[in-house]
Amino acid sequence: MNRPTTALQDSREALGDLPNPLGLLGVEFIEYTTARPQTLGQSLERLGFRPVARHRSREVLLYRQGDMNVIINAHRAPEDPPLPERATIAAVAFRVRDAASAYRRVLELGAWAVPTRVEVMELNIPAIHGVGASRIYFVDRVGEFSIYDVDFVPIPTVDQHPPTVANLHLFGIVQYIGFERLADWCAFYGELFGFAELPAEQSFGVLTQGRILSSPCGTLHWQLIEPAPDAIDIDPEELLQRVAFGSPDVLSTVAQLKARGVEFVESPSGVHSGSRGALTRPSDTGPTFEFVHDPR
Amino acid sequence: MNLLRSVSSSHFADFGMDTITLAGPLEAKLAAMKAAGFSQVMLAARDIVGHPQGIDAAVAAVKASGLRVTGFQVLRDFEGLSGHLHGYKVDIAKQMVGMARALGAKVLLACSSTSQHASGDPEVIARDLRKLAMLALPHGIKVAYEALSWGRHLNEVHQAWDVVQRADFPNLGMGIDSYHILATDTALERLDEIDPSKIYLVQLADFMWQETRTAQERMETARHFRVFPGEGVHSQALAELLRRLDAMGYRGDYSFEVFNDDYQQLPLPYVAERGRASALWLAESVLKRSVPLPGQMRLRSAA
Repeated sequence: MNRPTTALQDSREALGDLPNPLGLLGVEFIEYTTARPQTLGQSLERLGFRPVARHRSREVLLYRQGDMNVIINAHRAPEDPPLPERATIAAVAFRVRDAASAYRRVLELGAWAVPTRVEVMELNIPAIHGVGASRIYFVDRVGEFSIYDVDFVPIPTVDQHPPTVANLHLFGIVQYIGFERLADWCAFYGELFGFAELPAEQSFGVLTQGRILSSPCGTLHWQLIEPAPDAIDIDPEELLQRVAFGSPDVLSTVAQLKARGVEFVESPSGVHSGSRGALTRPSDTGPTFEFVHDPR
Repeated sequence: MNLLRSVSSSHFADFGMDTITLAGPLEAKLAAMKAAGFSQVMLAARDIVGHPQGIDAAVAAVKASGLRVTGFQVLRDFEGLSGHLHGYKVDIAKQMVGMARALGAKVLLACSSTSQHASGDPEVIARDLRKLAMLALPHGIKVAYEALSWGRHLNEVHQAWDVVQRADFPNLGMGIDSYHILATDTALERLDEIDPSKIYLVQLADFMWQETRTAQERMETARHFRVFPGEGVHSQALAELLRRLDAMGYRGDYSFEVFNDDYQQLPLPYVAERGRASALWLAESVLKRSVPLPGQMRLRSAA
């Protein structure tokens, strides 16, 4: 897939009405929140992530493989409600050309600012409200002097840049939406970030329900899934449901991850691992992860 | 509830009452509506923030009533402002969205600006309405934009539809109020231009005199002298309005928004019964809706 890596360097030029209005370039990190950080940490480690740093002031760990960063947040302020037992996706951080101007632009369009709670000497990362209780961050400090250098302390003796284990890269996010909410959420991601709807017949992986939006940088897919029609009387929750990883060879990835102890859904008649994709088995304690054939 | 009442209520399930028509505390209004056989209620912010035990208690009272929330009103003078006035209105809008969400309201009513500081540029109005709809979007709330008959730049239904179309946003649509259409004597043919799936709410009221000549007169009449459909002098026009909306394919909610100083000082059951009589007339004589067959599934409407 085409990655326009020059976009981040164009900082001298004003943001115009471009197809990629924020200079979006994929995801800097995904943040989970959970009352059981060790459980999620173990399942991330089976996928090849390594804990590389700890937050300076809170119970927050940074996991990494390749260019993917996952943050596990088990911090809870005394006034906050209890953390969920089961890990949930709390935030997605977009890499953008200029975080401050991206933030101003989306607020001008009607996004809700999230008030930040920054401790002394910590970075103020601008954020807006996303679906449900989730947030969307804007990050422009990528590479040598990154956001993690300020807020996180490296774990001693650990390789800060562990390579990918099974040829994985981030492919996208799956979002559950309410009844008749497809047009709304398409407008949300389209208006604020420049995402575009893929044709309805285009699908990836083994779970092909819903519609897929593609980021203007072409590296991120956002899949919107409506409730099943027979659930018609329930007002369903809207949330970020799971992360999908791309792999050039799903079956080989699955074989490697099975050897590392990852369990997959293998239903003879339903979802099972194949060359198009695979899904890790859901459990009471951890989220599922999806794998999608993507030769990037 | 006797058998006769429960049978007839299946006719008028599409009709509800606005809390602003009744006097007294929120709980008494909800109880009076329920007793009159209504199953939905259009809430006003004042009922919620004015609750003596606070907003949470008001939300709890609405939930406990079992009445479905038709919508939440009203955001005024949002569009067309600039600088700090715009910023101020965005804060107000966010508060309104927050309350609507807490109440389980799916529709927030916004009416066309009366402010002399507001721009009349349709591009500016459309951009601001788009922003308002975006503010409501993550919360699952639709914005129904209504032309006030004394609006500064925009006071007729087809003008509101023009800017809603221009804004072109999935959760931005129309609030239609029969009072304003009658007061401005707008030709009902203008409704035919509107996409019925973009009508999120229809508010109904009549009034007692033939015409309102000035904006000032329209405002005075709207705030003090409205009556229920069937009680005023425009019954024919109201009936035609409803039949036209029905023929267009509108299947959403109707609510009685009757600002009336007399009704504000009469016993609630008496006023609610007048609302009930009005709903029966509209459901059975005007729309002639058939009773749904027993066991027939009723799909939720878009609104």
